[in-house]
Amino acid sequence: MKGAATVFIVDDDPSIRRSLERLVRADGYRVQTFVSAREFLERADMKKPDCLVVDVRMPGQSGLDLQQVLETAGSTIPIIFITGHADGPLAEQALRAGAVELLAKPFDGEVLLDAVRRAIDQRS
Amino acid sequence: MTTIQLAASALAVSLGYYLGANLGLILRFPPATPSVMWPPNAILTATLLLTPPRRWWIFLLAALPAHLVAELGVLGSWPLVLGLFATNCSEALIAAVLIRRFSDAPGRFDTLQRVVAFVVGGGILAPFLSSFLDAGVVAAFRGESYGAVWRARFFSNVLTELTLVPAVAICVTAAPAWFRRASWRRQAEALLLGVMLLGFGIVLFTSSGLAAIPGLPRSPLAFLLPLLLWAAVRFGPGGANLGLLLTVLVAIWAVTHGHGPFGDLPARESIPALQVLLSVMAIPLMCLAALIEERQRAEQALAERLRFEELLSRLSAAFVHLPSHEMDQAFETWLERLGESLSLTRLMLLRVAENGHDGQSVTIAHRWNAPGAPAPPASSAAALSNGADWHRLLRDEPVPTPGRSDLVIPLVAGGRILGGLILDAVGVSQRAAASRLPELRLVAEVFAGALARKETEDALRASEVMKSAILISLNTGVAVLDRDGRIIAVNDGWIRLTHDEGAMIDAGVDDNYLHMCRARADEGVPAAGDALAGTEEVLARARASFALEYVAGAPPAERWFAMAVFPLNRPEGGAVVSQSDVTERRRAEAEAQRHRQELAHFTRVSAMGELTASLAHELSQPLSGILTNAQAAQRFLNKTPPALGELRDILADIVDDNKRAGEVIHGLRDLLRKRELSREPLELNELIRDVVRLLGSDAVIRNVTCTLELHPAPLVVIGDRAQLQQVVLNLVLNAMEAMVDCNAADRTIVVRTGMELDAIHVAVQDAGPGLAEGAEQRIFEPFYTTKPAGMGMGLSIARSIVHAHGGLIWATRNPERGATFHLALPATTSVPA
Repeated sequence: MKGAATVFIVDDDPSIRRSLERLVRADGYRVQTFVSAREFLERADMKKPDCLVVDVRMPGQSGLDLQQVLETAGSTIPIIFITGHADGPLAEQALRAGAVELLAKPFDGEVLLDAVRRAIDQRS
Repeated sequence: MTTIQLAASALAVSLGYYLGANLGLILRFPPATPSVMWPPNAILTATLLLTPPRRWWIFLLAALPAHLVAELGVLGSWPLVLGLFATNCSEALIAAVLIRRFSDAPGRFDTLQRVVAFVVGGGILAPFLSSFLDAGVVAAFRGESYGAVWRARFFSNVLTELTLVPAVAICVTAAPAWFRRASWRRQAEALLLGVMLLGFGIVLFTSSGLAAIPGLPRSPLAFLLPLLLWAAVRFGPGGANLGLLLTVLVAIWAVTHGHGPFGDLPARESIPALQVLLSVMAIPLMCLAALIEERQRAEQALAERLRFEELLSRLSAAFVHLPSHEMDQAFETWLERLGESLSLTRLMLLRVAENGHDGQSVTIAHRWNAPGAPAPPASSAAALSNGADWHRLLRDEPVPTPGRSDLVIPLVAGGRILGGLILDAVGVSQRAAASRLPELRLVAEVFAGALARKETEDALRASEVMKSAILISLNTGVAVLDRDGRIIAVNDGWIRLTHDEGAMIDAGVDDNYLHMCRARADEGVPAAGDALAGTEEVLARARASFALEYVAGAPPAERWFAMAVFPLNRPEGGAVVSQSDVTERRRAEAEAQRHRQELAHFTRVSAMGELTASLAHELSQPLSGILTNAQAAQRFLNKTPPALGELRDILADIVDDNKRAGEVIHGLRDLLRKRELSREPLELNELIRDVVRLLGSDAVIRNVTCTLELHPAPLVVIGDRAQLQQVVLNLVLNAMEAMVDCNAADRTIVVRTGMELDAIHVAVQDAGPGLAEGAEQRIFEPFYTTKPAGMGMGLSIARSIVHAHGGLIWATRNPERGATFHLALPATTSVPA
């Protein structure tokens, strides 16, 4: 059920954070936002992990670091990466590690929502 | 005296002796041997007085034949005649020796001392002593009474010596010159006096008319006294003596012809009385004449002295204020006047010239020859200029030139010998020339003073000429001001710069520089105001110097001038203003500055390449936010009812993101803009925050932590925002790049700001590998780089910018690791607007 799915958003940029939260919420999901990987790991309700949207480069732990931590912890949460840098090697690394999608900013909201939908379908 | 002259003199003495002896023999009253008057002894005495003692024997020998010829015929006896010759000679010798001993001029009778020496030695003692011998000889050979002979001879010889010796001496020495020089009036007066003496004498002695008046003196001599006094007063010792001699001759003639001088007294008996009377008259008369002569001579000397003093004072007056260039003419004129006034034949003025390394040389600067006098032999100057005489001249004492009557008087001033005064008095004895010495020394002093002054003035003028030549040759304009700012002098450069090339102020001599500066300042020329203030301060000694660079004229033809004012170091004050055209230098500087700016632009552009990634990220954030927000908004709008509250929030965020993107673009544009250095108040903390914010994403990419430790109060500098931003940007980028190989945890940059005195301090500290030993200086040199892809221009340009802001940039090595780059910029007290 669409209404039951929760999307976690991790980005240090408040503007990005807020705009993503609105877009995803407008599409009918529940949304939780975090300013850093650490906050996500500490506060996120991981019982029903539906989808994670995370910025690759952040102060402190990066998106890729977070992906590794989650994998190590045995989490299967699908991850969508967003980045300000169109780094070929980085995208490869992320996708190989099981990421659903890697989106370069600025990206089309529809593409993101598409990815979120796919991620949740993939999990179901 | 030549041999011929000597022989002639001896012959003359011999002849005089012979004639005198004959006269004496005639004037005898036999049987007594002594004569009334015996001239030979007096003639011998006069001869010995006028000739040097070493020649006396010649004249005594010459007299012997005359004596023998005259007396042998009369007296017959050889022993008697020879004995009498011996007594005659003894009298002359005693007289000559005594007079020479006590008189300073034995042949002259023109001072009281000379007359007394003559009267005592020659007139009394010599006859007195020799008469003992004579009486002895006569008594022995002719058996006459010793006492009678002694008495007769003594009185006779006293009279003869007293009257005849001076007469003979004067006739030989002074009379010829007197006859040559005396006017015809004087000669006529002398002749009249002689005739009157002779005439009155004869009349008085021969007539008995005097007896007609009772109580009158019986001697006619008393009536001749006025004539004798006349002779003494008007004609001096010579006149007195000749008058006396004439009187004596008349009296003796009268007596020997039976006319007694004392009335009825028999002639024979009156002779001794006559002799005594005449002798007694002669002595005071001679003394009187000598006194009158002495007095006249003293007056003459005084007059001459006064004349010289006047000459000297005129000489001093003529030279004391004489300009140097008129001095040569004055020397000529005064040599002539001095020569004429001192009766010289030749005067020369020597000048000593310094001859560079050669020492000194002497030249005859001026000369004067008496009209008709022969020109000096050229050799005399030559001899003087290189011979021993010159060295003697250096000894500062008059040098008598051997064989001539020249005197060289050194001209000494300030202990230095400047030249010499040579006087050549041909025909004047050396002794006479030397007597002029004290006077000539005074003249020499005046000349020396004048020469010294001339030298000083010439040297001064030469130095003036040199200084003005230097001033004229200068391209720099120079004006000299007095303490009130009035222009005393300007050089050609000043006129050219101010009149033709537009430098301040077009002012010439006698204009007041300060007034003209003030007028220009009032017209709104700011440099004129600065120049006015600076010049006034230098004139008031409030500052040691003042310098100013200013521009005149409008671009592109504007010109730059550098102006300097220095005080004039003299008691009356003043200043020297110099100006030069520094347009070329300023243009070169501007060119260099432009090159630097171009280079800075170039490095900015290349720095942009490195920044592109970071900028892309910086722009992608707000753009991404805007896009996502906009699409979210579309969804909220499609809902029914539309979520207007959400839309309001979204639009606010979109506006913020748009602004954020705009700022990035503005920053980029600032960095790319190539422009002149602007000067505005800037707050440095804010500037640093902006730069670090600009680099924020770059720091994230590079995983560098950038910490700001900024001074709490605003730090205001005056400068160009973009350029100072570039410096900070450059330092922070360098710091980031330096730590590329470090552990992520160590990648920290600390930017500190602080205030020390009146300087603002910025430090950018990294934790990289630090600087190589000794690289602290070289890193600021252009094209020095440690980066594989670096241009090596960043720090060099940063340094140019910091210097252009009056600041400093340097690097230090951190104690632990890494390097710190420091900036020091002058703080300003003004608050940013």
